[in-house]
Amino acid sequence: MSCSVRLDGVTLDYFIYSVKAQSLRNAVFNLAVGGNLYKSQGDVTVVRALENISLDLVEGDRLALVGHNGSGKTSLLKVIAGIYEPQKGIVDVKGKLTSMIAHGAGLDADASGLQNIRKLGAMRLIPKKVVESRIDSIVEFSELGDFVRLPVKTYSSGMMARLMFACATEFEADIIVLDEWLGAGDAAFGRKASNRMQGFVDKAQMVILGTHNFGLVERVCNKVIEIAAGRAVFYGTTADWIAWRNQ
Amino acid sequence: MEAIKAAFRDIIDGVLLAPLWLTLGWEQTLTRFRRTVLGPFWLTANLLAMAFALSFIMGGLLGNGNWRSNFALIISGILCWSITGGYLPDASSTFIAAGDLMNTMRLPLTFHVLLMLYKNFINFLAQLIALWVLLFLFKMGSIPDISLLLGLPIVLIDGALISMIVAIPAVRFRDVYQSISFGSQILFFLTPVFWSPEQMQGKRSIILKMNPFAHLLELIRQPVLGRTPSLIHWEWGIGLMIVLGAIVITMLTLYRKRIVFWL
Repeated sequence: MSCSVRLDGVTLDYFIYSVKAQSLRNAVFNLAVGGNLYKSQGDVTVVRALENISLDLVEGDRLALVGHNGSGKTSLLKVIAGIYEPQKGIVDVKGKLTSMIAHGAGLDADASGLQNIRKLGAMRLIPKKVVESRIDSIVEFSELGDFVRLPVKTYSSGMMARLMFACATEFEADIIVLDEWLGAGDAAFGRKASNRMQGFVDKAQMVILGTHNFGLVERVCNKVIEIAAGRAVFYGTTADWIAWRNQ
Repeated sequence: MEAIKAAFRDIIDGVLLAPLWLTLGWEQTLTRFRRTVLGPFWLTANLLAMAFALSFIMGGLLGNGNWRSNFALIISGILCWSITGGYLPDASSTFIAAGDLMNTMRLPLTFHVLLMLYKNFINFLAQLIALWVLLFLFKMGSIPDISLLLGLPIVLIDGALISMIVAIPAVRFRDVYQSISFGSQILFFLTPVFWSPEQMQGKRSIILKMNPFAHLLELIRQPVLGRTPSLIHWEWGIGLMIVLGAIVITMLTLYRKRIVFWL
């Protein structure tokens, strides 16, 4: 199945409500006094998380999102994953998308690793039989061994990262959206993960990766978008990005 | 126009995700009672304790002294209330509780509402079976009326719509959850859950006639006790569906995109 991701002029604003603005009493009183006061007393802060972002990805592309903490990487990943709908711009995603954005998200801490594999599979509407047939290779790839039978709350963050990455990549999806949590794994796992992601180009799968690990970007990704304060300061191939950074 | 279409899309997609919320709802119900001795029978124990206590008090208040006279009415009332109004606090915290999931996966808002309601429905069904067994043992039971099969879907659809209507503002204004929890307790007393509608006379009977929850309650309690609900309850049940449906579409059109930012 063909897949593509196209963003055109995407602008995303966050509305941040203070305690005061989340109170019904204030809203009601302000209504009684008049709409103007509501605006000045509401304590709603608007943060522009993304401004005019455009990108175009096709099958086999592996895009890295780089930028400082708070630059808008996760916001952009959430827009691509369809979690946030931007106020302006077009988001056109074709293909089956799997997103693993927050660290440990979707994992049930009290359930065992195996139960969590089944749960993550169910969340992606993958038939039970298919999930069962993949369990062995997920356990093998994640190198968790007998730990898969223990509750996830006993896992280290690196072990959780291994489990999540193995599930995200083993269940077939056209587009895989991953955030920085991948960095929680050790060096050996990092190499293993990057090898697997390089393999996606043959399967015509797409990876979109938020990361701070420039080594990983160079090894795995063919395109890079660098974000600063919500704006794209660079968008192009990895080779151009390295040249641009060295300037 | 686009936003109205998206609102309808949300509802349709949410319903189509039935395989997922059916699985998750069942799993989460099992998880809820993990490591408890009684398991889901805690709910049954709760129902029994409430019903016995209320029957005891009401028997005394009404002067006939016999707990048996009201027991069937009260226990079925409490049980049916759980699916007609008792779920309201749960409903208002739907999106707040699903916040983590909403921030990691794209799912229609309707999905979270249906998942919440389905979990309440599983509890209801488990207790309904316990109730029939109990009434049979006490020789108070009668064969349930077939109209339950029509009344239940109406109550559940109305319930899903009401849940959406309370869940959306509850994310934006955190006072709403508190007021709904307290409001549902008041409603419990204003609705003939543990008293019989005939006992309410005079001007006060208006709280019976104009209380939508009273009509929804009768729509399932009557068939549970083997009677057919009267026409007025059906009219309210179906009328509510239309009115609430219109409110839900309007709310989804206006606020659907913003809810995830309110979390």
